[in-house]
Amino acid sequence: MRARRAGMARWAALSAALVAGLAEGRAARADNLELAVKATYLYKLAPFVSWPAQAMGGPTAPLAICVQGADPFGAVLDRAVSGQAVAGHPLVVRRLARLGPGDGCQIAYVSGGPAQSQAQALQAVDGAPVLTVTDEARGAQAKGIVHLLLDGGKVRFSIDAGQADRNGVAISSKLLALAVAVKR
Amino acid sequence: MSPREPISRPSSASVAERRLVNLAWAAVVALLAIGALLAARTEVVARRQEVRQVEVQADILAASVSAALAFDDRRAMQEYVDAFRVNHAVAGAAIYDAAGREVAAFQRDKAHAPPPSIKALRSSFSGRRVTVTRAVAEQGARLGTVYLETAPETWAMVLGRHSSLALLTVLAFLLLAMVTGAAAQLQERARLLAEANARLVDEMAARGKAEEALRQSQKMEALGQLTGGIAHDFNNLLQIVHGAFELIRRKPGDTAKVAAWSENGIAAAERGASLTRQLLAFSRSQKLELRPFVVSELIADMRELLARTLGPDIALEFELDDARAPVMSDRTQLELAVLNLAINARDAMPEGGRLTICTRIRQVEPGDPVLEPGEYVELSVADTGEGMSRDVIERAFDPFFTTKGVGKGTGLGLSQVYGVARQAGGTASITSTAGQGAVVTLLLRRAAAGATGEGAAEPAEPQPVLAPQGGRTVLVVDDEEAVRALASEILELLGYRVLTAGGGREALEILEAEAPDIMLFDYAMPEMNGAELAKLARARRPGVPIVFASGYADTAQVEAALGGEAVILRKPFNMETLAQTLGSLLARRADAGA
Repeated sequence: MRARRAGMARWAALSAALVAGLAEGRAARADNLELAVKATYLYKLAPFVSWPAQAMGGPTAPLAICVQGADPFGAVLDRAVSGQAVAGHPLVVRRLARLGPGDGCQIAYVSGGPAQSQAQALQAVDGAPVLTVTDEARGAQAKGIVHLLLDGGKVRFSIDAGQADRNGVAISSKLLALAVAVKR
Repeated sequence: MSPREPISRPSSASVAERRLVNLAWAAVVALLAIGALLAARTEVVARRQEVRQVEVQADILAASVSAALAFDDRRAMQEYVDAFRVNHAVAGAAIYDAAGREVAAFQRDKAHAPPPSIKALRSSFSGRRVTVTRAVAEQGARLGTVYLETAPETWAMVLGRHSSLALLTVLAFLLLAMVTGAAAQLQERARLLAEANARLVDEMAARGKAEEALRQSQKMEALGQLTGGIAHDFNNLLQIVHGAFELIRRKPGDTAKVAAWSENGIAAAERGASLTRQLLAFSRSQKLELRPFVVSELIADMRELLARTLGPDIALEFELDDARAPVMSDRTQLELAVLNLAINARDAMPEGGRLTICTRIRQVEPGDPVLEPGEYVELSVADTGEGMSRDVIERAFDPFFTTKGVGKGTGLGLSQVYGVARQAGGTASITSTAGQGAVVTLLLRRAAAGATGEGAAEPAEPQPVLAPQGGRTVLVVDDEEAVRALASEILELLGYRVLTAGGGREALEILEAEAPDIMLFDYAMPEMNGAELAKLARARRPGVPIVFASGYADTAQVEAALGGEAVILRKPFNMETLAQTLGSLLARRADAGA
């Protein structure tokens, strides 16, 4: 009887483990898809934003998408950006531990790291022509100009128009129309 | 010769009309061509505009949808394409991502679904639909594609597009139809007119021929009447002459009776002469001697003659004016006319009656259908006889028309009256009521010359010369022996030395030897006529006066052959006339020579 109970328990444990494992696998795949979408969002933001001319370096100077702190994208971002250009500016990806106003970043994905927290990084480029992007999934307390979030299973974003104004970057009304929330 | 010929040929007018119609047709073709070109151009422009409009709409869609497409906001994209539902011109709209996959679509009817994927960008107008694909890009970054397709154009829209042009074309055609219709109508009318004209010409020709035939038959009929009537009159006259001479031959010794008989014979011969004169006056072959004279004076001179002609049963009354207005006419012919009227009146009043002859001045106003305006002398002869019916009045002035029996009249009397009046620049008319007499009125144009009597007209006229012309030689040439003999006897009686010749050749032989003072030639002779003889005679004996005797009908022709200077004695002539003519010529020659 005990042996039989123990066997049943083993089965149950196995089953539970299996189910948990499956669930974990699915979650991982969903995370990967989410990341890929977010990666494309990073460069797709570029056409809808204008930077001051002095922030661009030149007509054909690269437009830098910087990832500060922990990098959730890895090669996915590099692949997505590869070969893309916006208004003649080729897109490049740079990874930084610390973000500063003189780093030449036009778009900065701020996720925070040991060298510089998310809030510190955002503080560092406050008033500089940098479109800061934060991600709800990265547990952000502080929000960048664009804050990525999940809405009904889809990746959407909110926009802090006031911060964009302070930073001197102009965001297209088309993009504002698409945001789930706009902070003035 | 056919009068139809010139009309059967196409007239220049109809050629011009045909040209006009051809021109109208050329205009129709040109109009159609221009209309087609304009329509084609309108169509091309309209399609281009339509495509452009759809492209603009697609561009607006592309610009609007770029962010939604970039961030894969399908709901927003679907809202954008669904917005085209209200626009019924759009049949379908779709949005494709950068890879060409459809992400949002709207279709109005199921048959026309937007393509599931898009490869290339293109705009087209086919099957009455506009299909447009436009790129969605932001800052040079290609984000995807939009697709727009319009509902097929209805025919009403196409017609609406071309309606003004079509209306113009229709109007132009109507106008052309009217023009060509009018031209055709004109052509038809011209053709009918030409036909009518041809018929008229034909009828006129036919009528002309008929009239000619009628005149010919009238002439033949008249000739028959003439020979009947005149032969009868002449026989009567010849009877008198013949009888007179027979009596003279039987009793030549009874001088008193011989004188009376010869008087009768001469009178009869004179009546014969007057008869032929009437005939000649009627035929106008005898040239009239127009001289101014006063009609009232002429009537007054005829009192005795008229009284004798009318006889005792008819009262004769005169109402003569004293204006002494001259008319230009032949005095003898007018006398004859009055005599004719008197004889007619007498015959119309067998039981007796009254004849009234009036003269007065009458003014003819402008606008008279026959007469020129001015002063006329009106001479009217009125009787109280049986009168004339309307039919008779209408024909009374026609030659040879007579109501008298055969032998009693020639039908030339009134016709002679009419001829005299017309020659004097006037006219003659008859008014009559049957049973109440008739009035014949002559209007004679007043002459411009002052009133002149017969004597005043020819003051230099020598007095009759019956005195013997001692020593004067006259050459008489006549092919008829009896006339020649008579003439020589009369001339010898007048005291001339007379040379005679039976023809031109003989006369010229005589002229070789003799130099006559004057020559008397018959006009109508065989071999050589009077004119030809005169020419040769003048060459031999220039200056010798020549007198021509002619019984030939056409005196004018004789005058033309001889020249204006010719002196013509009309046969038959009496002794006095012959003596006077020769005497005056010799006197004139003597004056010229002196």
